Amino acid sequence: MKPTVNVLYLPGTNCQEETLRAFRHVGAAPRLLFLADALAGRDRLDSADILCLPGGFSFGDHLAAGRVAAMLLRTRLADQYAAARGRLMLAICNGFQIAVRAGWFGTGVALTVNTNGTFQNVPNQPHEVVPDNPSPWLAGLSGQTLEFPCAHGEGRFVAEPNPDGREGWRAALRYPEHANPDGSADGVAGVTTPDGLAFGLMNHPERALDKQVRLAFFANGVRAARG
Amino acid sequence: MIHKFSVRGVADPADQSMAHLRASLRLPDLQVWRDYYIEFERPPSPAEIAEVAAALGDGEIGTRVVVDEPLDPDNMVQVAHRRGVVDNESDSIVAMCALLDLPARAGKVATTYQSADPRLVEIIAATRCNRAVEDLHTAEPVYQTLVPVGGYAPARRFDLLALDDEELAALGRADGRNLSLEQMRQIREIQRATGGAPVTDVLLEALDARWSDHCLHTTWRSLGGGLLGRLVDAAKDTGNPNIVSMFHDNAGVWDFYGGHALAIKAETHNGPSAVSAYFGQLTKLGGVLRDILGTGLGADPIGCFEYTATGPPDAPASIRGRPAPRQIALDTIRAIKEYGNTFGVPMMWSRMAFHPAYRAKPFALGGSIGILPRDLAARGRPRPGDMVMLIGGRTGNEGIHGASASSAGATMAEAAVQIGAPLEQVKFRKAIIDLRDAGCLRAVTDLGAAGLNSAVGEMGEACGVWINTALVPLKTSALPMWRILLSESQERMLLAVPAEKLDRAREITERHQVRATVIGRFTGSGRYGVFHAPELDEASVVALPPGAMPEDTGELGFDVPYELLGYRPAPREVGPPPATASTVEPWPELDRPELAKLLEQVIGDLEVASQEYADAQYDSTVQGNTVHGPQYGRRHRVPTTYWAGTPVDGLPAAAVFATAFSPWLYEAHPVRALRQMFCALLARQVLAGVDLIDVCVCDNFYTPHLSEGADEWLVAMVDELAALVRRFGTPVISGKDSSAGSTHTDHGLVHVPPAVFLSALGKVPHVDQLLGEEWTDPGNVIVRIGPATPSPAATVAGRALGIGSGAIDDIGPEEFRRYLDAVAQSRHLFRSGTTIGSGGVAARLVTGSLASGLGAELGGGGTADLFAEHRCAALVEMRPQDVAALPAALSPVVVARLSPAPGVRLGGEELLTEAVRQRWAGAFVGSLL
Repeated sequence: MKPTVNVLYLPGTNCQEETLRAFRHVGAAPRLLFLADALAGRDRLDSADILCLPGGFSFGDHLAAGRVAAMLLRTRLADQYAAARGRLMLAICNGFQIAVRAGWFGTGVALTVNTNGTFQNVPNQPHEVVPDNPSPWLAGLSGQTLEFPCAHGEGRFVAEPNPDGREGWRAALRYPEHANPDGSADGVAGVTTPDGLAFGLMNHPERALDKQVRLAFFANGVRAARG
Repeated sequence: MIHKFSVRGVADPADQSMAHLRASLRLPDLQVWRDYYIEFERPPSPAEIAEVAAALGDGEIGTRVVVDEPLDPDNMVQVAHRRGVVDNESDSIVAMCALLDLPARAGKVATTYQSADPRLVEIIAATRCNRAVEDLHTAEPVYQTLVPVGGYAPARRFDLLALDDEELAALGRADGRNLSLEQMRQIREIQRATGGAPVTDVLLEALDARWSDHCLHTTWRSLGGGLLGRLVDAAKDTGNPNIVSMFHDNAGVWDFYGGHALAIKAETHNGPSAVSAYFGQLTKLGGVLRDILGTGLGADPIGCFEYTATGPPDAPASIRGRPAPRQIALDTIRAIKEYGNTFGVPMMWSRMAFHPAYRAKPFALGGSIGILPRDLAARGRPRPGDMVMLIGGRTGNEGIHGASASSAGATMAEAAVQIGAPLEQVKFRKAIIDLRDAGCLRAVTDLGAAGLNSAVGEMGEACGVWINTALVPLKTSALPMWRILLSESQERMLLAVPAEKLDRAREITERHQVRATVIGRFTGSGRYGVFHAPELDEASVVALPPGAMPEDTGELGFDVPYELLGYRPAPREVGPPPATASTVEPWPELDRPELAKLLEQVIGDLEVASQEYADAQYDSTVQGNTVHGPQYGRRHRVPTTYWAGTPVDGLPAAAVFATAFSPWLYEAHPVRALRQMFCALLARQVLAGVDLIDVCVCDNFYTPHLSEGADEWLVAMVDELAALVRRFGTPVISGKDSSAGSTHTDHGLVHVPPAVFLSALGKVPHVDQLLGEEWTDPGNVIVRIGPATPSPAATVAGRALGIGSGAIDDIGPEEFRRYLDAVAQSRHLFRSGTTIGSGGVAARLVTGSLASGLGAELGGGGTADLFAEHRCAALVEMRPQDVAALPAALSPVVVARLSPAPGVRLGGEELLTEAVRQRWAGAFVGSLL
């Protein structure tokens, strides 16, 4: 059986095709999960092995990127959201913004406007895979530098330490020094949850020109779903 | 019950944009925040207000939300959309409140600026407020409601049979219409032919739009027996087997591989962009993307491009109250970024030019290419009984008279500007593809110029149609019938849905959360009918048997046989175009320090300098198919001369896109310029690796209408283009004409040069056959190939030296054809290649070095060698031993040897100095900010 993937399709999602394609190319059975179906109870966020929140401009980025979608996850879809948190999850760009606002990576973290105040399009953005993160999404990639596109306006990762010292995130990717396109604190370009099941990043591996780079994270996630 | 929520951040030292804004406005203590006004359905409790405030501030670090604090006139000023302009975020505000179980009716967003500086209001008014659609508040505005008000007014009726010519002419020009006396006479005949009952303002407005230059292309139809026919005939004569559809649909369609076809279309939005560059450019891109969606039975956009020419950045506004060129440029970048990125279509190519002729009315060109199944590429035709389904955004009181006003020079009013809302379009983009694939579409078209009137009227021409305007979802509570029909509210599409597919179509639109309403039926009557019947609901329309008319048609706007709605403008014959300069200025011989100085000037010219500030804001990789362009280079990003993408999963085939345009060249000699640009376009495609037979062209004419020889040049350019199409077998399959390029300004008439922007779409079966542009190996040589065009006229260096006027070179089509064939035969010898253009060989060597990090060593070379803009020629990188194998038809000249150290060295002397680098990187952004 191919691992199944729900790619959440929200009003304003626009990276669904390349995301579906990447999952297909690594042997998964991805499909679009329409928000309307989830809201109507015809389908559920947690009805697949992997949940993916793809890139785009959900709800037009109105009221700040990801805000309306995150509210949906925490209100109308709260039970599905809670159930999905025990599964593998990949959040890319706007999906990452939604996940952060929805609290997937704990409190005290935010993705805010890039330091230059506007959208940054960098086709060959380098990312270093943090060596000590054991997340299944990063398996075999430790310490590698991967180039894939950056394309966002609100991707500056900022974090405040939690008073209890228990953070809801671990760094997964970092920008090399002097190649930080959004001004993220400590160069953080992607994070996982402490259990490694959820992986969020602002940039777009699914668009990489190099096929191995394009599929690396997706292959890892699908491999983990196969057990 | 309206409450205001101000979302205020704290000072963030990492926010360079805020620091930059403070510096550029010279307001060091400036604070900026967003105000959200929300109109609730019922008075919210304090706890509910706190809940909304928490939701608006949630997920932010260092943000606080202040409720119901009025503006302090002493240190605050607010910019907000005008009343009546629907805020795009309103729906999302309402949705957010619904998630909090607090029903809201509407929302409004404003930006507040705070500073103790007494010049605050003056500075913000001058730099941050677009008076076309925004108001500046120095005191807290008082809103009774946030829902735009509007009301129905019965149609006005006019008995044209009782009017003399003078009265007819006056009525044709009344209320913002642009109907000529000749056209009014024809409407009088319609009144007579349909029984003599007075005609309504609905009919007058409908025909004002239908017969405008924008919709009917009256200028092109009146000249030389019809100009479009000349291009269509030439394309047919090529017998090119790749033509699927040309000038017949919303876009031209070109065969691709694997059962797919490509669509191409470009449009201008010059008039609206002169009034409000932000909204004009926003809707320019939105409109052309809808053209692609409305091609065949629905194509999916896979790339977009943008070109804007405006006046010099430091020039003032030519018309009081209109944006100045610098503002137009900045608003353009913001608009293209917001629409293109949100829509999710990669930017293939973008460029801005600054030329005095465009200071009054910019050249605001946007284009797109798309993909669709070959067997669904024919334009759809509705059948009697099909549903007229309107999908997408609601209809508002905006974009009124956009079509006719854009055809009429400088008289466009602010109300003619459309407001864009990209979210709506993203939502229905995929819905249309799903509807197409589910067999729910008999026909599809977009709503653009002239709104419903154009879409319904044109689609219904196949059989007949009627619509009930009372069923059209509105932004306001009500609108007069003619305004509903003519509104150019954006993000709407019209579908012909077979009755038996209606339920399936509704399933799909509901799943995509796309608003869809059946507003009428297609008939077999051959008539176009519009009425307003509030009692006739959607279910009753759907339930009608095919061909039946409802019993209640409320108030009739018009019901006219299509054969009466045609209009043929009086033919105009023209002579040859006027004479132009015939002498060619010689290039001066400059010594090396002078050459170095000239290079600095050329590289810093806005035609050559990096436009990275704009380019970096446009998403070029979304969809994951971009394989080449719009920039290249690992060291520095420099523009490519073509773009390529692989749009079909599993197919290595690539679509290849390129453009050619230079206002300076057209200013010198429109016909010769056209020939050079056409050849340059083909040179880019063929050098990239595309076979000539696999290239098609899209034209966008932008010509003056009040300058001496305007018509003559237009006819001569069309004839030249037709001749080139026949000579090279490269058909023009899509395009648009804008013939209102003369503008009355506060300082007299300003004319754009007679010009045509050319873009080309090609295809290759395998992406590996494309030639890269980045230099690869030290030791290789750079060889100039192709026909020379050495005149300094219309060149960047020529302008810098004061010899930019005079005659431009002519290109011999036969010689050029031989050159293209030789390029195709020799391509395997090239390691990289790029065509030469603005700034000449010198500029290409500089960008080549910046991109690759390699250097170019020139043994020698004078002013002409370095700066002549051989627009149809190329620089190719080769192994030295391969040069001898090049055929004579390429006219090869070795110009440089590549070395490992970056730079451009002439006789060992460095020309690529730090000053040159800084001019290249900083001139564009420095001129705008």
